[in-house]
Amino acid sequence: MDAIIRVEGLSKTFITKERRKGKKGKRVVHALKDVNLEVYAGENFGLLGPNGAGKTTLIKCLTTLLLPTSGRAWVNGYDIFAHEDEVRASLGCMLMGDRGLYWKLTGRENLDYFGALYHVPRSVRRPRMQYLIDLLKLDDFIDRTVETYSSGQKMLLAFAKALINDAPILFFDEPTVTMDVPTARELRRIVRSLNKEEGKTIVYTTHLMHEAEELCDRVAIIDRGEIIALGTPNELKSSLVREDVVHLEGVLPATTIEKLRAIQGIRNVAVQAETNGRTKLSVLCDNSRLLLPRIIEAVTGNGASLEYIKPQEVTLEDVFIAKTGRSLAVDTREVVKEEKRGGGGRG
Amino acid sequence: MAAAAVANRGFGLARPGWRARLDVVRTVFIARIHIITRYKGAIFMEALLPIVFAAMPVLLGTAVAGPRAGEVFFGRTGTANFKLYMLLGASTFTVVSLMLWLIGYWVRREMETGTLESLYLAPARKIWVLAGVTSYAFLRAMIAFVIALGLGSLVFQVNPLQGGVGLALVFLVIGLIPLWGLAFMFGALIMKIKEADSVIQVLQWVLAFLMGVFYPLALLPPYLRLVAGAFPPTVMTDAVRASILGIGYFFGSPYLSLAVLFAMALVVPLLGYEVFEATERRLRRKEGVGHY
Repeated sequence: MDAIIRVEGLSKTFITKERRKGKKGKRVVHALKDVNLEVYAGENFGLLGPNGAGKTTLIKCLTTLLLPTSGRAWVNGYDIFAHEDEVRASLGCMLMGDRGLYWKLTGRENLDYFGALYHVPRSVRRPRMQYLIDLLKLDDFIDRTVETYSSGQKMLLAFAKALINDAPILFFDEPTVTMDVPTARELRRIVRSLNKEEGKTIVYTTHLMHEAEELCDRVAIIDRGEIIALGTPNELKSSLVREDVVHLEGVLPATTIEKLRAIQGIRNVAVQAETNGRTKLSVLCDNSRLLLPRIIEAVTGNGASLEYIKPQEVTLEDVFIAKTGRSLAVDTREVVKEEKRGGGGRG
Repeated sequence: MAAAAVANRGFGLARPGWRARLDVVRTVFIARIHIITRYKGAIFMEALLPIVFAAMPVLLGTAVAGPRAGEVFFGRTGTANFKLYMLLGASTFTVVSLMLWLIGYWVRREMETGTLESLYLAPARKIWVLAGVTSYAFLRAMIAFVIALGLGSLVFQVNPLQGGVGLALVFLVIGLIPLWGLAFMFGALIMKIKEADSVIQVLQWVLAFLMGVFYPLALLPPYLRLVAGAFPPTVMTDAVRASILGIGYFFGSPYLSLAVLFAMALVVPLLGYEVFEATERRLRRKEGVGHY
């Protein structure tokens, strides 16, 4: 298969300023570390990882918004350093959610504006806009100024904007965020159809595992600037085929995790959520049937109270846990908290 | 790689011709017009500013020199028509100010709303986008200039259509070309420092001072006169005023002023665009253009 996107040894380092206790300092953030990747023509490629993992930095490098510190990359056969305009013309992007639109212009005026910036001829622009309006059912609000739109409507317009130039490669960065469930489902249907029927290559970033499993032909899991797993969802899940996952929930003291980790046959324990004194755990183990009595024993006593226990089918979330020892959901929340405190974490 | 042939190649992959480039300029220009017309009264209100701005020194001058104000002013400038002198200074200052600040505010606003990143995702060269924005700023500045001069003439009871009006227009048009270059540099500065308000507040006064909006440049100390003379808006304002009022030119003759403005019109836009591109490259190496 032909690689429509090829990434070789791509690294990106940021030097950020920080203030701690009134003292100024500099911090080096390695947002991408020697990333190697190939995306094949016509595939739907998922990029998974928590916030701050490097997904957005990678996309920004590939879309020419950022210059990498080292390494090389080609998009649609064009070198991202030497042929920026051609790379940009090869892409349709929805990277900033509902940002990136002119709120004082109508939806139609926005599409016309960006169509011109992508050099879509005026004679083609009008029918193309109408096609997108019909496809995404924008008719009811397309002639209103964007400032009057709901979040979901803005996202749909941003999605239409990404399709205005009919590019062979589409980048979608968490496009269903802020959409209601039926609209998100419809959008995923359209993404699938763009991929399967129109042959578009799609790079789709998300932290929603079910979205990735539903849409993507292949998935790369990125963590702390590195690709830690790459393959089809089935390949990634079957890499854990000899392992089971047991989900637990209840009032579980901190020592429980240590007790569980000490059991032979348990590979990893990750906290999925902690709310109101209740903890949700995922336990990766060799054979859940064999180990279940010992797991139950470890999580009872010492003030613990087990409310739920269930062995479950392996998901991409479990793959992330197996690779990193952390839960994607918790990791995402932690990075958001860290960012709010003014710490690092960009991506 | 043969992958490009697999799906639709997308638009803009072929080298865009003049029609496509002009389409970018036109679309950006029209979008800006749409946006400003949705803020009711904005254009008219800014046209009133130069009248108020000119009224202050006119009233101060009258208060200080009394009925001999014109006579005293003649001794310094070569014209007794100090009201028209001030009005012309304030109106050209508005043109310069709008051209520069509109670009600065535009860059800042695009950063804040995320549309700057959208612009950088598109293959259209930024020079054509900037050409659309500066054309809009030019139109807006000229509307403000004409309204201010028209209304101001009625308020101050002066006639601006005297002397070499045609020559003054030539100076104004040529003087606007280096302003584009200055606007690019100013846009680059805003992109780098990510703040527009305080910079504009400070530069507004520096600009008014260097342009000699209300006084002849001959009053400045020699070294400042040199700095002011190297600043294109100063040369433009001086020449416009000299042509209409029939007073002396800063460079001695209209031909020399014209030659200096021509040279500035050739050099400053190129320099401005180079500064803009260099800033943009530096930002893309660091945190990216959309970072605000």
